[in-house]
Amino acid sequence: MSLLIRQLQVSLTQQSILTNQASALLQRVTSSLPAPLCRLAPTNERHYRTMPTHGIGRWKYLLPKEVPRKKRDKLQMKPIRGSTATEYGSLSVKVSGYDMTVVEHYSQYIHNLCNRLGVRVSESYALPTKSTEVMLMQEQGTKMYIDALLKTHERIVQISSMTATLCPTFMDVVLQNQPEGVQLSVKEHVERDFLERFKARPQLEGLMAQVNQRD
Amino acid sequence: MSAPVVKMAGRCFYQLYKLSNSAGRLASGKTGIRQFSGAVVKNAAEPWRLLGAACVQRLAVISADQRPLEAKFSELMNQMELERSLMSDHELRLLDDKERLRRRQAVDYDSDEEEEADRDQDIVLTQDLEDAWEQRLKGFATQPRARGVVDARLERADRCLAEPLLLLTQQEVGPERLWMLPQTPWEAGETLKTTAQRALSATPGLDLQTVFLGNAPCGLYKYRMPRSVRDREGLTGVKVFFFKAVVSGPLPPPAPSSLWVRQSELKDYLKPSYLEKIRPFLLNL
Repeated sequence: MSLLIRQLQVSLTQQSILTNQASALLQRVTSSLPAPLCRLAPTNERHYRTMPTHGIGRWKYLLPKEVPRKKRDKLQMKPIRGSTATEYGSLSVKVSGYDMTVVEHYSQYIHNLCNRLGVRVSESYALPTKSTEVMLMQEQGTKMYIDALLKTHERIVQISSMTATLCPTFMDVVLQNQPEGVQLSVKEHVERDFLERFKARPQLEGLMAQVNQRD
Repeated sequence: MSAPVVKMAGRCFYQLYKLSNSAGRLASGKTGIRQFSGAVVKNAAEPWRLLGAACVQRLAVISADQRPLEAKFSELMNQMELERSLMSDHELRLLDDKERLRRRQAVDYDSDEEEEADRDQDIVLTQDLEDAWEQRLKGFATQPRARGVVDARLERADRCLAEPLLLLTQQEVGPERLWMLPQTPWEAGETLKTTAQRALSATPGLDLQTVFLGNAPCGLYKYRMPRSVRDREGLTGVKVFFFKAVVSGPLPPPAPSSLWVRQSELKDYLKPSYLEKIRPFLLNL
């Protein structure tokens, strides 16, 4: 009990709250505490809000705010719908070309058209860009040198359901608005198309092949 | 007095017939209900002749020329984009080289003041590159813009390359020959889409590669036969189902009795009632 009193006194003097009220409070605290409980550590005491010592010992609010890093989940494949007698299943509309702005604008146009016509679009993404090097033969000699670098950009709009009666009209609009230098292809969406989105990991594939070979 | 009574009786029986029919939901061939007097009962046993037709479009091959307002607007947008754009690496290097050259040619040039990295660099390398590129551009001759055959006859598929064209063929309907979309009667056991494909291949002299845009028809043209034909042959009318297709592959050579017309020229060749039914599914973009 004497230890407790000494600790309280020290903390009070440090904060310099030596008012009559405080001393009266101190006496009240010391008188109300039963004997066995005075062995508790002071951190377990949480004073009421009206107590002057409320919030004593808080320090976490003084540290700088740290945003927790969200771990990104691996992209999950949306279920592929099969076709019925009146509806097409999952289709992927692929737009590809050399000019990125034209290709992107055309894919955005197709997406907006689907929204307006009520065709449900499940996903809209880009495939990795493919670079083609155009090599020319030198006039004198057999060495080839790089003449140009062409980049093929591809954008895919994945449609989850389209009624068979809407399809000819939709295709007609899309074909009539096709810009120059852009190739369009509409085909069934397969799981292999989903796996094409990911980068190839040759080391992992080598290890898997080794594991399979051993089995 | 008797006439209204009979009429009322007929109407009651007709309503009864309708109720019984809806309860039973027979698909076709309703028997034993034709004896009602005064009741108007549709005879479902009289056939409709089905035809499959192909609406083949040759899409525009080249982009249409811009109208004056469009040209002005696109020029304005290009100018705005140029003014707001940042310089590319190549342009920055050009400016850098010019600055370095100017510094070197100044009267009080001190080569020690140059930065370490720039000291031994050869100036006007970028300008040389630009000159080399310009030389190559001068040697490059562009192809003239394809205009197609001007003043071409309507049988040619390569007329009016900037607009979509529609294929019309001449068919014998009753006593006369009329221009219409290629069609052929449906045979039992095949789908209407295959009928439409057959209609194209059956046209004499037409060598065409097409892609059909869907399995479902895009339009229907239905007409009833005049009374005399209906009674004589038992044919109520004709239904024509249209399927959309697009020309793929090379343009076909001109063929007899087939025309490629623009949408504005359709009214000169098609009958008004037929054209009215076709217009809804022809997109004029």
